[in-house]
Amino acid sequence: MKEIKVAVIDDSPFSVAMLSNMLEENGFQVVGSANNLQQAVDMVKEQNPDVVTMDITMPEADGIECTKALHKINPDLKVVIVSSMMDDEIMRKAKRAKISGYVQKPVDAEELTLTIRRIMADEELFAELEKLYYTVFKEALTDTFNKFFHSVPEYRDEETANIEQTSRGISAVIGIIGRYGGRMILDMSTETTMAIARKLFKIEQPTKEHIINVIGEISNIIAGNACSMMNKSNPLFGLRVAPPTIVYGESIKISKSELNTVTSVKADTSFGEIYMNIGFNRGECE
Amino acid sequence: MSNKYEEAFSNTFLNIMPQFGIEDIALESQTECGSKINAPGVVCIVGVTGELHGNVIFAMTEACAKRIASAMMGGMPIEAFDEMAQSAVSELGNMLAAGACTYLEVMGIKADISTPTLMHGDFAVQASFEQVTCLQMRISDTFFYIYVSLERN
Repeated sequence: MKEIKVAVIDDSPFSVAMLSNMLEENGFQVVGSANNLQQAVDMVKEQNPDVVTMDITMPEADGIECTKALHKINPDLKVVIVSSMMDDEIMRKAKRAKISGYVQKPVDAEELTLTIRRIMADEELFAELEKLYYTVFKEALTDTFNKFFHSVPEYRDEETANIEQTSRGISAVIGIIGRYGGRMILDMSTETTMAIARKLFKIEQPTKEHIINVIGEISNIIAGNACSMMNKSNPLFGLRVAPPTIVYGESIKISKSELNTVTSVKADTSFGEIYMNIGFNRGECE
Repeated sequence: MSNKYEEAFSNTFLNIMPQFGIEDIALESQTECGSKINAPGVVCIVGVTGELHGNVIFAMTEACAKRIASAMMGGMPIEAFDEMAQSAVSELGNMLAAGACTYLEVMGIKADISTPTLMHGDFAVQASFEQVTCLQMRISDTFFYIYVSLERN
C-alpha cells in the first residue's frame, strides 16, 4: 500500500503538534498543517494530501465550511472530523458535507489510525469497482445476446454524464445491493421488446405479459451474471440483485440519479436499440 | 395475506414525515393489490435483498411530490418538479426504505436496500411479485402510496 499523505487542520497549535506526532508514529506521512481556513486552502493546494483531520470549532470558518472549501479544490479529499463535540445536528451537516469519518477528542491513536486506513482501503476498493463495472456489464449483455440469439450487439461510445433520460417505452430497473449499492436500467422500445419476445417465445403476437416477462428476464440475467463476475473478481464487493421492476408507458422520464458513478451505453442489436445504464454509490460516512 | 413486516414501512413514514413538518398524516388503508400499478406521476423504486427480497415502490402525484420536496427544503416554494425537487424525493425514498430496514432489523428480519431510481411521467409499473401490498398514506388531503412487493427468503 502506498504511503498515505495526511494533513492536520486545527486552530490549536497544541492539537496540531499532538495529532501530527500521533500520525507520524503510526506510519502516515504528515505533509502539512493549518490553523484556519485560508491556511488550509493554501496548504491543500500545495501539498495535495489524501486525508485531512479537521477540527469542528475554529474561529471564522468552522470545520464544515472549511471542508466545503477544500472539496472545491479537491473533490476526492477525505476529511476526518476530529472534535470534542458531536451531536445530531453536526452529524447531519457532516453527512451533507461528505465527511468520511469522525474521531472524538481526546483522540485514541488506534482509533484514528484505523479510521484513516479504513477510509483509504475503501477508496481503493471503490476505484477498483469503478474501473471494472462497465466492462463487466457490457460483457454480460453481449454474452446474454450471444447465448440466446447468436448475435452480438454493437456498442456506441459509452457516456458517463449523469443526466435525466427519456425512456424508449419500456424500462427494467434492477436494484444492486452489496458493499456498494447501485442499480441497472435496461431500456428499449416496445417494438424492440416485441421482436425479442417473438424470437424467444416463437410466437407471432406476443402479449403485454410476454413483453414484460422478456425484458424482466433478460435484465435479471444480465445483472445477475455481471454481479457474479464482479464478485469473482473481488469477493469484497458482495453484490446481489433485487428482482426487476418494469416500467412502461407513453412518457417516462428517468431522473438524474444520486450516484457517484454512472455509465450508460446504447447498443444496436438485430431487434433494435437497447440502452443500458449502470450506477453505483460510494455510500456515506458511518 | 397480511405480513407484519408491512408495518415497518407505514410506521417509518409516520415517524419521518413529521421531521419535515408534515404532521397531518395517517395510514388510510392497507390493501392487497395486483402487481400492475398505475403510477400517479412520480415513482421511486428501491430494491431489497436479504431475508426479504423484492422491491418497494413509493408513488405519488407530482403535486404531492412538490409539496413534500418543499417541506424537506424548509418550506422553500417549488414551482416545477425540477432537478432539486427530484433529488429531494429520491432522498426521501432512500430515507423511508433505510428507516424501514432498521425497523425490520429490530423485528429480527435482516434486509438491505439498493439506491433509489426515480421516474416521472405517464406510465404503469409492473412489480416483481404477484402479491403486492398497497399502503395508502394520507397527507392532509392528498395521498402517498407505498407498494410493498417482497417475499421471505
